Amino acid sequence: MADPQIESFLYREALLMDEHQFDAWLALWDNPARYWVPCNEDDIDPARQVSIIYDDHARLVQRIERLKSGSVQAMDPKPRMRRVISNIEVEPIHNGKLTVRSNFMLCMARANAQQLWCGRSIHGLVREHDGFRISEKKVLLINSDQEMPLLQFLI
Amino acid sequence: MLMTGSSLQFSELISGPVIHGRLYRDPDVFQRELDAVWYKVWIYVGHASEIPHPGDYVRRQIGLQPVIMIRDDDGHINVFFNRCRHRGNLVCQRERSNVEVLTCPYHGWTYARSGELLEPTFEEGYDSNLRRQDFALARLPRVDSYRGLVFASMSPVGITLDEHLGATREFIDLFMDLSPLGEIDLNTGTQKLRYRGNWKMLPENSLEGDYHGPFIHRVAFDLYARQTGLTMSSLYENEVPDVIRYLPGGHMIEDYRGASMTPPPGPPSDARRAYVEALEQRYGPERARQLASTIAPLIYIFPNFIYLMTHIRRVQPVSVGETYIYYQPAFLKGVPTEINEMRLRLHEFSFGPAGFISPDDIEIMERNQIGIQARGNDASFIGRGIHREKAMPDGGTSGFTMDENHLRGMWRHYAKLMDDPDHAPFAR
Repeated sequence: MADPQIESFLYREALLMDEHQFDAWLALWDNPARYWVPCNEDDIDPARQVSIIYDDHARLVQRIERLKSGSVQAMDPKPRMRRVISNIEVEPIHNGKLTVRSNFMLCMARANAQQLWCGRSIHGLVREHDGFRISEKKVLLINSDQEMPLLQFLI
Repeated sequence: MLMTGSSLQFSELISGPVIHGRLYRDPDVFQRELDAVWYKVWIYVGHASEIPHPGDYVRRQIGLQPVIMIRDDDGHINVFFNRCRHRGNLVCQRERSNVEVLTCPYHGWTYARSGELLEPTFEEGYDSNLRRQDFALARLPRVDSYRGLVFASMSPVGITLDEHLGATREFIDLFMDLSPLGEIDLNTGTQKLRYRGNWKMLPENSLEGDYHGPFIHRVAFDLYARQTGLTMSSLYENEVPDVIRYLPGGHMIEDYRGASMTPPPGPPSDARRAYVEALEQRYGPERARQLASTIAPLIYIFPNFIYLMTHIRRVQPVSVGETYIYYQPAFLKGVPTEINEMRLRLHEFSFGPAGFISPDDIEIMERNQIGIQARGNDASFIGRGIHREKAMPDGGTSGFTMDENHLRGMWRHYAKLMDDPDHAPFAR
């Protein structure tokens, strides 16, 4: 059974992503940060191989600015999303950082189609006085080596 | 005005700047394209750097047919149909791998890396007339390459690859010469994307970013300008001639060498200085300055190759209304590693499923496919700059930054291929 504080943190992050609460989601992040969705395989060298997302904090801020701008075509209309987080495993604290692994299943409905996105998230969390901050998040999509539709939402 | 009669000429559907909607949505047109385009002309298969060692292969598709590109023991690159000569099973099922021999998993027939049949398995059961040399993997009738770019044609006859590439070779050179060694490395992973739209929309969209840029990429361009100091707005605010080129053979170019680009503020990084120095040593100061100071021209080689800033993009038709795109970032050989890492990060910023630029194009193309189902006025119009379209000595045309002369040229070429009298008359 996972720590209820960690569990509720992941659920809150999921809700903010599902409901496009971009600023509140960004506020969950530490700085510096790494938001990483590898491409083709789960373990690649990001200096040698292309990723789907490889954001540092500055680019994460840009990503949010763009999503909020109203000019992202795939956000008009906004997708409706709900995701389920499960199989949460917490590793012992190492160098003040918690590593949390979980699986997600995300249903997304938009433009006359429903999409199913599925994968595993690995969060690196640091504890702050008011809760946790995300310093790293790596998302392993099961379809990262397949021809996929647009990924223009938070995952 | 369509002529009456039993058969249709595609040149009737493409009248100068007016393109009929049927060309994007009719499954019969798609079937015709397979024969008249995909199974006929030179198709880009891959780059030599993807299979550096003997036995390395990658799977690819030409039209709807599976092929492999494999390097043999002599270092020679072969392109074979990916089909066992026994019962037609797929011989290679991995997308990329290295193999000693090619073994069909169904009944174990085994082929050399150069395609010869080695072992039909349980050979004693075949009569003595079975000759191994009759059962080699089928080779694409014609395979050739230019600067590592490998092309194949399913037609045993036709113009040579050099003739097909024609004037694009000058632009391929400008791309490859961004490397001080004159070579790129394409072993950098592949972003894969699908969209619900016709394949021809991708080249149409990819090579006209200056016109649609201020409408759908404005925020991304602003973010890019703030991050790098390089502003894109000068491209569309001050239109200049000779940027948009059509080259004979269906090819399109966006050539920015004549457009003024504001250089990024501040001194260049150590890596950047070392890179420019390496270019000077290899190419001399004048060409090095040209290579380093502008965006390399964007290249479309008809029908499925696109080079765009950071990467090579392959266009893969699936059906009349569905297309796959493969984005492979190109590393430059002989540059400081920081330069290639910057190219990779710029690529992720811009392209792929979660980038800040190309996803807006993808969404627009999907809506374009819905739009052209409406037949109230069943024609698209690509007339920008038609009054100032300049004929070039190479047989191509030249236009201003946001003109559509290149699209008109591509469609003229397409009509010529589709109307080739080798093919059966097309039902009206």
